[in-house]
Amino acid sequence: MVQIITNFFIALRQIAVGDKKYYAWVSFLSFLILLGASAYIGQLNRGLIITAMRDQVSWGFYISNFTFLVGVAAAAVLLVIPAYLYHFKPIKEIVLFGELLAISAITMCILFIMVDMGQPLRVWHILPAIGAMNFPASLLAWDVVVLNGYLAINSIIAFYVLYRLSIGKDYKMSVIGPLIILSIPWAVSIHTVTAFLYNGLSARPFWNASILAPRFLASAFCSGPAIMLLLFQIIRKLSEVEIDNKAIFKIAELIAYAMGINLFLLGAEIFKEFYSGSIHAEPMKYLYFGLHGHNKLVPWTWFATILNISAFFLFLFPKTRENFTTLNMACAFVITGVYIEKGMGLIIPGFIPDTLGEIYEYTPTMQEIIIAVGIWASGALLYTFLLKLAIPVYTGKLRFFSKAQMVTALDIMSRRLVTVLPDTPADEVARLLMAKHLSDAAVVDQNNKLIGTVSETDIISLEVGQSTGKKASEIMSSPAVTITEDRKIQELGKILAHVKASSMYVLNRDGQPVGSVSSGDILKALENIRKE
Amino acid sequence: MQHDEKENNILTRRTLLKGAALGLAGITIPLDRANASLWESFFQKHFREMNEAEIKKVIGRLEREYEEKYKKTITIGIEKPLPGVLFGYGLDLSRCIGCRRCVYACVDENNQSLDPQIHWITVLRFKKGEKWVSLEESEKYYNPETVPQEDYFYMPVQCQQCENPPCVRSCPTQATWKDPDGIVVIDYNWCIGCRYCMAACPYGARRFNWAAPNRPSEKINPKTHYLGNRPRYKGVVEKCTFCVQRTRNGRYPACVEACPVGARKFGNLLDPESEMRYLIKHKRVFRLKEDLNTNPKFYYFFAYGN
Repeated sequence: MVQIITNFFIALRQIAVGDKKYYAWVSFLSFLILLGASAYIGQLNRGLIITAMRDQVSWGFYISNFTFLVGVAAAAVLLVIPAYLYHFKPIKEIVLFGELLAISAITMCILFIMVDMGQPLRVWHILPAIGAMNFPASLLAWDVVVLNGYLAINSIIAFYVLYRLSIGKDYKMSVIGPLIILSIPWAVSIHTVTAFLYNGLSARPFWNASILAPRFLASAFCSGPAIMLLLFQIIRKLSEVEIDNKAIFKIAELIAYAMGINLFLLGAEIFKEFYSGSIHAEPMKYLYFGLHGHNKLVPWTWFATILNISAFFLFLFPKTRENFTTLNMACAFVITGVYIEKGMGLIIPGFIPDTLGEIYEYTPTMQEIIIAVGIWASGALLYTFLLKLAIPVYTGKLRFFSKAQMVTALDIMSRRLVTVLPDTPADEVARLLMAKHLSDAAVVDQNNKLIGTVSETDIISLEVGQSTGKKASEIMSSPAVTITEDRKIQELGKILAHVKASSMYVLNRDGQPVGSVSSGDILKALENIRKE
Repeated sequence: MQHDEKENNILTRRTLLKGAALGLAGITIPLDRANASLWESFFQKHFREMNEAEIKKVIGRLEREYEEKYKKTITIGIEKPLPGVLFGYGLDLSRCIGCRRCVYACVDENNQSLDPQIHWITVLRFKKGEKWVSLEESEKYYNPETVPQEDYFYMPVQCQQCENPPCVRSCPTQATWKDPDGIVVIDYNWCIGCRYCMAACPYGARRFNWAAPNRPSEKINPKTHYLGNRPRYKGVVEKCTFCVQRTRNGRYPACVEACPVGARKFGNLLDPESEMRYLIKHKRVFRLKEDLNTNPKFYYFFAYGN
């Protein structure tokens, strides 16, 4: 318990203390969050009427952002697969930051769902047992299960790895291995279920296409890793974390493949809709060319298409993907392109024209945008805090308080001692040392306090004849190398190295010797702790 | 002295935080509810999970809340579906003149919000003589001096009370379900307002309370049903219930009664002698978007051709 509280405060302190740049960034985000929160309070008061959503277009900007972010969260898996399964070392070292990003993205997803709800206080109705979760019939119920499960899995993996690192130990694959294996299909599932959420509605022909889930995954594997590439470069610049260029270029290469597949699937969809030319092509027409003079989304759609195609080529050619200027440009293109394509470009045409043929054009209101910005800022702040904590742990600068640190000299010392009084003859000391197989003896006074030591070498260095008659006090070295019994194991090594001795006497509070610690004892104890 | 000052500071800060928290709670919790019933309201169980005593208690509380808000007595019925009844609806497209009397009769019977305006029935106007009839070519906001207009025909659309309702399947909290008499109902105190049902409905039948519904007290129909026309809340979904408060008491839906040309028919699909069974047998009937297999119990038909 004490350990948990102490560590909580260590973590809190780590998050709360930073340099000026850090404070400026945190204040900036907090300001955006406050703006968003105040806009949200307005929404709670007046209802969702402050948004531009209406019965015709009943989901809008919030759900668009939600959908994009599910993709970002799912993309963490792209790093997990090569890192843990194929032991591609350059990626393995940074997978942790990807998982923390997934945690932040899922948190934002949940916030976007919350602000979209008409009755957020009733959110518990969706839970199993205490609520009335409509499982397995409702895909939204499935989404609640998979998103929260994904959040839990990634949190457990990330915090377990961090915790082990923070107490100076390596993580055990036997503990998180199964979770990591599970996280791979689970990441696929969060995006598949989210795609099915739309896909399963026969009322909405734009979504009711089997290609939707594969398209979701392909586009997620573009935007998510692109965000990570930018973040990794920032992390590398602002901290001591070393991220190998090899890892960055490898991820860039993977984005190229994902974007190729994404464009292919999109092309297949466009061909089917326009060539067959059924009534179901109307939303697609609205998206690319406008419908009956309504064309608010058209410029955005083409903008996104051009960005995605340009990014594909920038990622495809090693020359452009291994040049940081063009690489970062490509990342920005992909993030923007997919954000439009899979955000507003996916949600809004689902409702246009509506099920009775009406066209209601939707553009988010300022309040909607402010609330969304507030949620993005919350996600950014969460990620900032997670990194602030994770980076020093990762580089070994921050160590948590653990039981291992509670190990003291008393726990690891050897209790075998030879103690002699100052007037003990030297040959008597030699006899005692030989009998006990020890190399030195403690010389104590009447009160059993240590006043010096006599080692084998002290005795040997006297000529044989001279040794007779000499007392311990005459040949002892004083003062002896000593430590108190409550010294932590971490300090012992340093002290030994400092005094250039091979062992030290351990004294109790009264200055009486109770044992001795040698460099061998310390090594053995450290090894035991590591094994735990 | 210094110590006292410090303590005072803490106290003020605490009171401040307390005040802020209360303020926030006040904002988040609907203001139209009395404080005493706030917790009861929050922890109210799903309608179908409550036993009779619990339902009675909830009805009592809701009636008190409505009385406080509207300053008149509003009764909330909980009539159950009648055995051996499956309601069906018929709409004669050859008769409909597009007058929207059904729309306004529905608004008054079912206590729909006037501002923002909510209509459970949408009447679509189509141009005669077009190559094909497409919903996209229809007009919802037509507003001529008089109806019917020479070159147009009309098609009212409302909840089709599907036997295989996509809205019920999609609802994550089971706040909407199909009762044995075929009516799809909503528990307005259980709906979380996620609007997934609205995305799922192929007929645009569901309405959301984007703002707090607004209806003057004198226009409130005081005879209500828990799953039907009782006043709704901000942030929940509502829709046509075939006037559950009327039809479970042997009456016709308000729209059927209001139609001046007798275009609207209603009856028990399980009764071979009913008007509905007669028209299904003898008229050319169709249902909207039959390819979606929602199996609506709302039949469009043509009594005569012209």
